[in-house]
Amino acid sequence: MTEEQSVLRYKMRPPVLNVQVEDSMDIMIVRDTTRRAASLLGFSPAYRAQLATAAASLAELVLKTGEAHTLNLNGVIDGIKDGLQISAETPWLQGVSANNVLVALKSKMGDLVDEVMLVNNPTPTIVMIVWVRS
Amino acid sequence: MVLEVLLVEDSKTQAAQIAEMLESVGLRVRVAYDGPDGLREAMDNPPSLIVLDVKLPTMDGFQVCRRLKRSPSTQDIPVIMLTEKAGPKATMSGLRAGADDYIPKDIFASEHLMETLEELGILQE
Repeated sequence: MTEEQSVLRYKMRPPVLNVQVEDSMDIMIVRDTTRRAASLLGFSPAYRAQLATAAASLAELVLKTGEAHTLNLNGVIDGIKDGLQISAETPWLQGVSANNVLVALKSKMGDLVDEVMLVNNPTPTIVMIVWVRS
Repeated sequence: MVLEVLLVEDSKTQAAQIAEMLESVGLRVRVAYDGPDGLREAMDNPPSLIVLDVKLPTMDGFQVCRRLKRSPSTQDIPVIMLTEKAGPKATMSGLRAGADDYIPKDIFASEHLMETLEELGILQE
C-alpha cells in the first residue's frame, strides 16, 4: 500500500477543527487548538505537548512560504486505535519530489509524530498522525 | 491540606508571576533559582509538583528533570516544564527527560498549566 493510499484508509472522527494561520501570532492558536483536540481524544498531557509542537512546527513551516493557510485537525480511527491527524495543503509542492519533502519533514519533526505523509488530494497536502497509546 | 509546588525558575520576575498564579489557586510555592538548588530542595523536602524552566544557570532543566526522575525520592513527583524553548528538539528532550508536560511560555501558558494541574489531581475542580 502506498503512503497516499494509507491515509485514506483511516476513518475520520470528531473533533474536526480548522485554524486559519496568517501570521506568527496564529502559531499560538494552533498550539492551543491542538492541545484541546488532543485532550478530547484522550491524549495525556505529554502527548498533547508533543502534538502541539508538531502542529506548530508544520504551521511555521507553511507560514514561511509567505501565504496564509488553514491547518486542519481531526480525529482518525484505525481499528481500535484512535489518533489525531494534522494536515495542511501545500500547493507549492506540486511537482516536487515527495521523497525529498518527506526526508526534510521527518528530519524536522523527529519523533514528534508517528506518521508523516505527502498526499495529492488533489492538492499536495502534508499529513501527520500521532496515535493514542493505551 | 495545602499542596506545595517547587518552582525552579532563574528569572525573579517570571518566578514571581508564576508563583502568584499558582498561589491564586490555593497552592503553596517554594522557589529555587537554579538547577542544583532545585534538586536539593526537591530531595530534602519533596513537593507535590515541580514546575521547571529549561534555561537555567549551571544545570539546564533537562538535566534537572532527568536527575529527578532517576532518584527514588523524587521520581514520582510530576514535573511540568514551562519554557520559552518551544521547538521540536527541545520538546522531545523535555519529554524524554521524563517531564509530564511541556508548556511553552505563551499567552495560553497559564490556561494549559491549570488544565494539567487539574488532570494531575493537584487542583480540585
